[in-house]
Amino acid sequence: MTIFLASVGFGLLTAAVLAIAAVGFTLQFAVTDVLNLAFAAVMTAGAFTAYGVNKAGVSVWVGLLVAMAVCAALSVLLNVFVYAPFQRRGSAPITIVIVSLGMALIIGFGIEAIVGGVNVSYAMSQGRTWHAAGLILTTVQFVIIGISLVVMVAAHLTLRYTKLGKSMRATAANRQLARNCGIRTGRVITITWAATGALAGLAGTIFAIDIGSFGPTSTNLFVVLILAAVFLGGPGHAYGAMLGALLIGVATEVSAAYIVPSYKYVIAFVVLLAMLAVRPTGLFGART
Amino acid sequence: MTYLITLLVYAAVDAMACVGLSLQFGVAGVTNFGFIIFQAAGAYVAAILALPAQSANGAFQHYIGGWNLPFPLPWLGAAAAGAILALPFTFLVGRRLRGDFAAIGLLVTAVLLNLLVMNYVPLFNGDAGLAIVPAPLQSQVMTTTATGYQWGFTVGVIVLVAAVYWLARRLTESPFGRTLRAMRDNDKVADSLGKNLLQLRTGMLVVGGAIAGLSGGVLVSFISVWSPAAWTYAETVVLFAAVIIGGRGNHLGAVLGAIIVPVGFEESTRLITNANPSLPPNLLPSLQWVAIGLLIALFLWFRPQGVLPERKRVIAVPEQPATAGAIIRPRTPPAGDPAEHDAILQAIDVSRDFGGVKAVSGVSLSVARGTLTGLIGPNGAGKSTLLAVLAGTDRATSGTIRYEGQDVTGLPAYRRARLGLVRTFQLASEFKRLTVMENLLSAAPGNRGDTMRGALYGRRYWKNDEQATIGRAADILRRFGLTDLTNSYAGDLSGGQRRLVEIMRALMTDPAMLLLDEPMAGVHPELAHRIGEMLTQLSRDGLTVLMVEHELAIMDEFCDPVIVMADGAVLAQGTMAQLRDRAEVVEAYLVG
Repeated sequence: MTIFLASVGFGLLTAAVLAIAAVGFTLQFAVTDVLNLAFAAVMTAGAFTAYGVNKAGVSVWVGLLVAMAVCAALSVLLNVFVYAPFQRRGSAPITIVIVSLGMALIIGFGIEAIVGGVNVSYAMSQGRTWHAAGLILTTVQFVIIGISLVVMVAAHLTLRYTKLGKSMRATAANRQLARNCGIRTGRVITITWAATGALAGLAGTIFAIDIGSFGPTSTNLFVVLILAAVFLGGPGHAYGAMLGALLIGVATEVSAAYIVPSYKYVIAFVVLLAMLAVRPTGLFGART
Repeated sequence: MTYLITLLVYAAVDAMACVGLSLQFGVAGVTNFGFIIFQAAGAYVAAILALPAQSANGAFQHYIGGWNLPFPLPWLGAAAAGAILALPFTFLVGRRLRGDFAAIGLLVTAVLLNLLVMNYVPLFNGDAGLAIVPAPLQSQVMTTTATGYQWGFTVGVIVLVAAVYWLARRLTESPFGRTLRAMRDNDKVADSLGKNLLQLRTGMLVVGGAIAGLSGGVLVSFISVWSPAAWTYAETVVLFAAVIIGGRGNHLGAVLGAIIVPVGFEESTRLITNANPSLPPNLLPSLQWVAIGLLIALFLWFRPQGVLPERKRVIAVPEQPATAGAIIRPRTPPAGDPAEHDAILQAIDVSRDFGGVKAVSGVSLSVARGTLTGLIGPNGAGKSTLLAVLAGTDRATSGTIRYEGQDVTGLPAYRRARLGLVRTFQLASEFKRLTVMENLLSAAPGNRGDTMRGALYGRRYWKNDEQATIGRAADILRRFGLTDLTNSYAGDLSGGQRRLVEIMRALMTDPAMLLLDEPMAGVHPELAHRIGEMLTQLSRDGLTVLMVEHELAIMDEFCDPVIVMADGAVLAQGTMAQLRDRAEVVEAYLVG
């Protein structure tokens, strides 16, 4: 029972990180129509940006804000100079996926060329350890879960109640129609890249905080979790991604407590393939 | 000397893998982001077939099998392993799943299988991998390091690559290859013309998997080691880069790409590292990956067709018409009641919902044999959806569709097309990188070379069928006055010409009934008129046509009867003259 509860705690932590990444990825796909396989590489860029700031003697929490800004800018640039030109030319979706894989290589290995292949950690305090209702988490881990909850609520309020959020949903549903209704879709798309890029930076940094020691290739397997969460909820559905992240996060960590930890990704992988095979539109998606 | 041999063998192995990928991705349009796992499977299987039992070497490495089999069984086993591994992925490449989602599924599979093999030691010795894999004929020759043996191995592998290349070409330059290219250019349309996408894609996964597996088997028996580090997911990207840069769909381009990208990059990195030993060890390999990413993006932008583009297949048109009379085969109605207007197609209470929105609700209609029936209605009336449901490119939520007296409600589009019920599309749907002639040929059923086996038998086996099909296509082209465009790429035509290509292509399927979705939209009025006359002639020859059209003048002149739809339901049916007299029709459509 103790192991179970402790693993649920870790599951919530993983889910917290995963939810931010999955919501970012799924919104990016929904609004911009780019299945951006470079998303995890942008996360890594965020983690190392925060590391650079941290190494200069500044708190990692400041580094986190810098990482969000840098990743927002990086994502906007990716769109302006790479994805948008391909889309304007009418390239097939699969071409853009291949291009995004190329971008993933450029960013990921570009970072490795700069920082080298070694793993690093932030200089930071984890705070004291709390035992609450069987969960064992440090202060920092509680902060991560808190950040994630704030982001989820903010995403919900933005999508539901603001003009920007409604414009994003309209653009996602039908870009042409949205434009004809007077929505400046170009601007909405740019803002989406910035916002989801910032989410990638945030997710990358708290992922690095969470796993402690990280390197340029640390997010490679995390991608499996992101994709599983996204496809479980249905690609393009923000709330689906949140639920998917919760289920995948808890399921992987709980299973890791009972089987060999290195196999914990298997459950996410099986979920992903099953969703692709049976219901690619996700639990929340329409039947086709 | 050893260096040259190593280079040649690596080039040959990469070339083999790239030809396999070129078949899958370049010809058939199957984007297999997990390609490397098929090579890995071949390497592992070849290794455990060739190795003695794990206890033989003092059990310093763990693996299953260890059958100590003689050459060439390990290589055959490698090819078989790649082919068999393809089968579980069949579910990813069917009609339902988007190609990019399937690609992601395969990519994630590659990442995960690598992790599993790395962590599970009893299977293939985990992270450390397998070592001292015997070379072919190792026990028969004195020493495998002798120059003579090494050269023999090299020549043998190059011959093997030539054989794979020959096989790939044989498949590609056949009616079967043309079908694959049609599927690559537009899979939904290929489906509607009677192509079984699932079978075609599965076939290509298996063939490509076998080639990848064989390349892995060859590689492992040369380098004698194999571990998870040799087949990370990113290795697939290298092969994709090679095929994109060399020229997808052109197998010679794939070979060239294999020499430029994997071999060229590895070697230049090695040379630079040797010249500058002070560089950080990780720097150049990392930059090499960055360069591969850049090359992919730059080539896809500036030269998407690659260094050696897919070449155009020019087909000579026979001077003499093949047949004098009708361009479609006269069909005899099924036996039974020979009532003059028996129904060829019936919809009984057919509905199609999209998440609560009823696009088509409770439509019952019947199309009489040999008529040119019109279908009109305001935008959003559900005409195109009804057409899709009738053709099988979309599913009916409820109701029954009967064609030639047979219930076809559950049949997929390609099966209905094979029964003679063929549709065209509202949006341009030509196979862009096929010529006009190839567009027509691709739709013809019953060509002996249009199966994988037939293609492998070679040109002599299918030459006669091909000639007959070309003759028929030439007749249709002549009838439509488009002989001049025979060898133009369909993607280069004007909008009106594309509509004609689409109609001609549908006729090539030898249909009993055509479902046309706005065949005259965006077509010059004179040409539209000619299409109308052509269709009238065809219906006199026995073809039944159901045609969605907005232009009422066309309906007035050519269609009888005309069906009116509004809000997903059938409002009225009759001649245009009758319809103009009916108040509710005029209100729903003719005025508003």
